[in-house]
Amino acid sequence: MAGNKRPKTPSMANWLANQFINEALLEEFFGDLEEIFQDRISIKGKAYAKLMYWVDMLHLLIGFTSLQQIFRNQHNPTIMYRHYFTIAGRNLSRNKLNSLINILGLAVGMGVCLLIYQYVHFEMSYDNFHANAHNIYRLTQTDIRNGENLGAGAYTTHALGVQGKETIPEIKDFVRICPQKLGLVVANVEDNIIFQENKMWYVDHNFLEFFNFPLRYGDWESALGAKYNVVITEETAYRYFGNGNPIGKSLKVSGGKSLSGIFIVTGVLKKLPINSHLEFDLLLSMEFLLENWPSYKGGGGWVNADFITYITLDDNANPEIVGKKYNHAISEQISSRLHLERRIGFQAISDIHLNSDYLKGDPASNKGNMQDVHFFIIIAIFILFMAWVNYINLSTARAMDRAKEVGVRKSIGAVKNQLISQFIIESALTNFIAAILAIGIAYFMLPVLSNIIGKELELNVVLSIEFWGWFSLVIILGSLLSGLYPAFVLSSFKPVRVFKSANTTHRGGFSLRRTLIIFQFLTSVLLISGTYLVYQQITFMKNKDLGIDMEKILVLNGPRVVLEKLKEEGVTLGSKYQIFKTKAADYHSISSISATYTIPGKGYFFGSTFIRKLGNPEDSGKPASVTIVDTDFADTYDLEFLAERDYIKDYSALEQVIINEEALKVFELGSAEEALYEKLIWGGDTIDVVGVVKNVHWNSLRDAHSPILYFLDNEWGAYFSCKMNLSDVQPTIAHIESAYHEVFPNDPFHYFFLDDEFNKQYQSDLQFGNLFSVFSVLAIFIAC
Amino acid sequence: MKVKSLGEFEELVLLAVCILDGEGYGISVKREVENHSGRSILLGAVHITLYRLQDKGLLQSKLGGNTGKRGDRRKRLFKITESGMRQLRAAQDVRQKMWRLIPQLNPSI
Repeated sequence: MAGNKRPKTPSMANWLANQFINEALLEEFFGDLEEIFQDRISIKGKAYAKLMYWVDMLHLLIGFTSLQQIFRNQHNPTIMYRHYFTIAGRNLSRNKLNSLINILGLAVGMGVCLLIYQYVHFEMSYDNFHANAHNIYRLTQTDIRNGENLGAGAYTTHALGVQGKETIPEIKDFVRICPQKLGLVVANVEDNIIFQENKMWYVDHNFLEFFNFPLRYGDWESALGAKYNVVITEETAYRYFGNGNPIGKSLKVSGGKSLSGIFIVTGVLKKLPINSHLEFDLLLSMEFLLENWPSYKGGGGWVNADFITYITLDDNANPEIVGKKYNHAISEQISSRLHLERRIGFQAISDIHLNSDYLKGDPASNKGNMQDVHFFIIIAIFILFMAWVNYINLSTARAMDRAKEVGVRKSIGAVKNQLISQFIIESALTNFIAAILAIGIAYFMLPVLSNIIGKELELNVVLSIEFWGWFSLVIILGSLLSGLYPAFVLSSFKPVRVFKSANTTHRGGFSLRRTLIIFQFLTSVLLISGTYLVYQQITFMKNKDLGIDMEKILVLNGPRVVLEKLKEEGVTLGSKYQIFKTKAADYHSISSISATYTIPGKGYFFGSTFIRKLGNPEDSGKPASVTIVDTDFADTYDLEFLAERDYIKDYSALEQVIINEEALKVFELGSAEEALYEKLIWGGDTIDVVGVVKNVHWNSLRDAHSPILYFLDNEWGAYFSCKMNLSDVQPTIAHIESAYHEVFPNDPFHYFFLDDEFNKQYQSDLQFGNLFSVFSVLAIFIAC
Repeated sequence: MKVKSLGEFEELVLLAVCILDGEGYGISVKREVENHSGRSILLGAVHITLYRLQDKGLLQSKLGGNTGKRGDRRKRLFKITESGMRQLRAAQDVRQKMWRLIPQLNPSI
């Protein structure tokens, strides 16, 4: 009656109160406010009442919104969150199998990611341990002739470093390394311990000062100071001298006429860091090499590129500018001697391991590849996402079980936000447990990884702050990514529907789940086909017909020690070789033996040297690879001749050459038959072409065919290749060994099959393949 | 347990609730305090104080009778608790003691 005509309280103020004041209090407040509102209207009028209504309402708002947080204990958020954790814990332990699958799936995914992270971290950490690493550069040289780029390489000439230091003030220091490619025989004569050493380097005396390889014994300032000093690594010292300090003991090096000698051990290096691109066993003095092998000094030291040069720059020097100065400093020397332009490049030492693919004949033995590293990072991210997707699928699939819980919670007053935070806390807990487990998994799987890459890795990333940053990021991101979707699906269930029927299908949810499953399926297919491709590639490389029947070739290391006594005995090396070849070949399963300077897969005598056709101008020379073989080579390796003519056997002056098809093309020699009447110019010498053979893959299949010159000479037997019948291998090897010891009594007998050695070139591919397949299998396991 | 002493306004509100004896709610308390102290008070201040006293355990409340004037909404009726009574008495005692010590008012000194 009267109520109908009553003036209304200000609705804006009421709406505001509705937003901020606890519902339970509103009834009495509105009641009181309205009562006083009516009183005021009757006493002082509507306007005053309205004004005071607003004042009172705002006062209440301020008073009660701030009071609530301080005094209303039943709404204390910490209690709520503690409750969420309890519930999350109970849920995990109630569905033990389910949680186990969830957590294990996530943990394996994260563990694999962590392993990949460790691997990537390791690959990126190469050579960072040098104190001055940011200022150390390796020099590269690129030759350009008549505008044609002849390729970049890491081998430089002997004079390059000296010239740079003398003329460019920004270059503080340089050091040169000349690897002994041949593999000399080294002996501790006293105890008769003999090995062939393949990682023996001649280095400048400041090597130990330049790089940071700590010494176990000896003094770094003087260790490489004298010509007959040798510095060895800990492992090498152990091989020759056992435990104890070997300083002052001597090692005898047998390296033919020029490189033999007795060397005094003046330093022992601690085990080299495994993330060093420099890997060596023995360091000898550069002074010794240059004195005994003066050909390096020929052409002013600008011709034979057999040295690796490292320089240190000033802190504030700009490598680009220094590079230009360098090009300028050497241009006169180079153009007058070689008729070409040589550009010097600077490669930061930390870049060498992963970014050296553009260089021809990189001397580093343990090359990595930036592409592979990126690839693994992508796989890691894929795996992590698969694990999360899996978690999402599993937890939404369980939605049915949780629907009742959600229904009950909603009907006793839980709002959507509270449910969402509950589910996110659950997924955060799962992610956290999984992440902790992942560290354990990574720890136990690390040996598998070490095994594949052949280096003893440690799980040392966990010591870095960076890692814990990523770790937290992954947990937070994982909790949100894998928690948000189930949280929204589950919290949007309508209580009425949940209780009414058991069927709580959620259309949107299922279509997203389907998408996720398709994503997983596609990734799995991608990974499987990727693995298949990688293996195809490796099998292809291993089985491709290289033009040489490698399986049947057994290779021995040629003798080194015997060389020293030739003079006393009055025989030539060639005849000594011939004696061995005749003796060894006198066995039914051996058909042919050849002494050569290098073998397939082991490079050349000169990787790149300039050759031209007789009659062509001096600056028309093109790079070719050169190796030295004896006259039995073509037979032993079954090279197919396109044309050949009679040549002088037992000849040893590097004047006759067999060339491959590629050389025929590059040097414009016409047809194979025509080529037999042509001559080539190498340095100042004229060479007769006596045969043309089909191209074979002398090095990795990855390299395109390049012009190769096989010089004929019978005295360069660094290796003996024996072509044999595989029917009885052991007796054949025994026979060869006895012949070897008879002719070369003081040389160690090492042998291997050519295909094994050749395939070592593909080791990094194989490693990549193995890593890839292990990670793929794990990813697929997680997806299933 | 140390009991915090009452503020002046709190004491007035407590006394008003006592006087109203079970009929004290926001508006009646406001009127009671206004009548006795002669000053005008905001309703919100009364509400806040009532709840604060309840949180301290000096008052208890229940929802009670509604009238048409309130738009049929119930009111929260406050009653003093035992500890509320104790606090009031303690405050009163302190004052009595101190009053007695004022020399001008004490003829025996």
